[in-house]
Amino acid sequence: MIREASSSLHLLGSSHRVADLAARERISLPPDAIDDFYLGLEGLPGLHECLILNTCNRTEIYGASEENFAPECLHDYLSDFRKIDPEFLRRHSYLRSGEQVIRHLFEVTAGIDSQMVGETEILGQVKKAYEDACRRKASGKMLNRLFQKGFQAAKWARTNTGISKGQVNLGNVLCELARRIFGKVAACRLLVVGAGEVAESAIESFKSRGSQAITVTGRTFDWCPLSRRKPDELAEKFGGFALSFDDFKKSLHFFDVILTSTASGKALIDLEDIRECMRKRPSQPLFLIDAAVPRNIDERASKVDNVFLYNMDDVSDIANENLKSRMAEVDHCKSALGQRALRLWQQMTTTHSKEPASISQSTAPRPSS
Amino acid sequence: MNLNDPRDLLWIAGICYGISFFVGMLKTFRFEVSLLNQVPVLGIALGFLIQTRALYLRGLEVHGCPLGNTLERIQFILWSLILAFLILRFIWRLNLLGTFCAGLAMGAGFLSLILPGSDPPYWTDPDYLRLFSNPWVELHASIAIFSYGLFSLLAIVSGMYLVQRNALLSRKHRLIGSFLPPIHDLEHAGFRLLTVGTSFLTLSIIVGGMHWTRHPEFVTTTKLYVTLLLWFGYAILFFLRVGNRLFGSKFAKASIALFCLAILSLSFVNSKSKKQESHVVPSSDLSLAHSP
Repeated sequence: MIREASSSLHLLGSSHRVADLAARERISLPPDAIDDFYLGLEGLPGLHECLILNTCNRTEIYGASEENFAPECLHDYLSDFRKIDPEFLRRHSYLRSGEQVIRHLFEVTAGIDSQMVGETEILGQVKKAYEDACRRKASGKMLNRLFQKGFQAAKWARTNTGISKGQVNLGNVLCELARRIFGKVAACRLLVVGAGEVAESAIESFKSRGSQAITVTGRTFDWCPLSRRKPDELAEKFGGFALSFDDFKKSLHFFDVILTSTASGKALIDLEDIRECMRKRPSQPLFLIDAAVPRNIDERASKVDNVFLYNMDDVSDIANENLKSRMAEVDHCKSALGQRALRLWQQMTTTHSKEPASISQSTAPRPSS
Repeated sequence: MNLNDPRDLLWIAGICYGISFFVGMLKTFRFEVSLLNQVPVLGIALGFLIQTRALYLRGLEVHGCPLGNTLERIQFILWSLILAFLILRFIWRLNLLGTFCAGLAMGAGFLSLILPGSDPPYWTDPDYLRLFSNPWVELHASIAIFSYGLFSLLAIVSGMYLVQRNALLSRKHRLIGSFLPPIHDLEHAGFRLLTVGTSFLTLSIIVGGMHWTRHPEFVTTTKLYVTLLLWFGYAILFFLRVGNRLFGSKFAKASIALFCLAILSLSFVNSKSKKQESHVVPSSDLSLAHSP
């Protein structure tokens, strides 16, 4: 029975696991081509339901079909649609059927199959793809059940395994450290000196946690509106304040978190600046992050009481440590999700074989008009 | 197991604290069992009720506040510690603090029960007179012991502060530090506990001082000096902290050092023996309660 029904679920996909960035760019579907792609999919003989998951790291086509459907059709259709060599697509894609599709989806939604193991963004992307398929009425009884169970599996994995434990994004690691020092990240006053990628990532993370007092300064900062440079652009982008570089040292004591990431090649904040700052805020901790190479903050600052100085190596070590602990959970999580996938597949095939095709019990969200 | 025997009840209370401590540690390290979610706080609450009952029964036996021997003093301090925690829990919801408190209450409680000679039955002495013949002295003693409870909580919070600080400075992210409350909150909690504890100790010394001015013969010179030394220690710590002269790790270390001193001072802060007291002044003269 299971064997017969196993041909009713299919998946054709390409992800960072089998394709490098250049290959993924060729296979990925442009947003304006999705409508046409769905139209073509619905026209494939024997394919009853379909769903497209198209993100920066993966392009996947899920389908539910009648038993005699040949999944290679999906392959031919995609290579034809994207005008790519079928052999190239074969090398950079994977084809799954039956229980393997369920297992794969569970791993995707749980974040195990992501480039950054345990990340949560993928779950939102899968939900969005599912809603899109429902809106187009491309998803039916089989895929509805599959994806609803996929969301449940993701929730279970994140709650019951350590797959999402610890932060792995640099900005989030900084926020977690700030939380351990100050408690509420939203109440922290952040000063960013410079405007690199790390600075932007940190501001984004602090902002997403409700931090309102974000100030940016930099060596290239100029008050003249005609010669605006990156630091004040960054401040404007995140609704923060811009501070004159000449004055920032006098204002250090106003801030709880100070991040430096300039390419000045010398220490912008020395030990005496920190001592002076701490004299003005003696009992309040100060969190310093030196994201610059060579360093912008005198490392002796860490000897001052209530000062916590981290450099990029420290932050990266924490991120890697968290990633390692997530990786250690992958096997346990995979095996548990595998069992859930097998159970679901057995239920699906039993239901599928007993119920007449006309019975439809949709759990899909109501299509929006 | 006799449920009307204070010692047996104290053993049961210790077991409750122990269960709370172990389940709390399991929860801290994310070995969560949904059925056990409320066990830590329930364990502490149940242990507290049983300990209260035990101290009450002992109080009936000694006809007063049970502070006559090492076991009673330690148990009373632990009782105050748990009471302070239960009150503060509603304010700060520091669950891990409860785990630490339960651990200390279990460890110190069992130690006081096992320690030989810690619980001599002084109340069975034919010459025994009420431990506190004056209610103001009893109030002085109980407030003082309650302040000791607060100082023990301060020592725990300071210990947590140092662990968190060391974890942050060592840059080891996966240590216990990531489960502890933030540095900022611990420092604030420490300051508040110091404020409340010092206030209670001051009040206790004022009440005791009123008795001492009328009957200085009841208080040994050692007790007087040790008590004043301790009070000065906490008062100086308080003013240094208010003036931002002492904070962070130095404040935490000073709090722990003072608490160790407070525990050591327990053996000196006993009043003169009851026999001696009974020979010096008849109990009817101990009417300090009428003093303004």
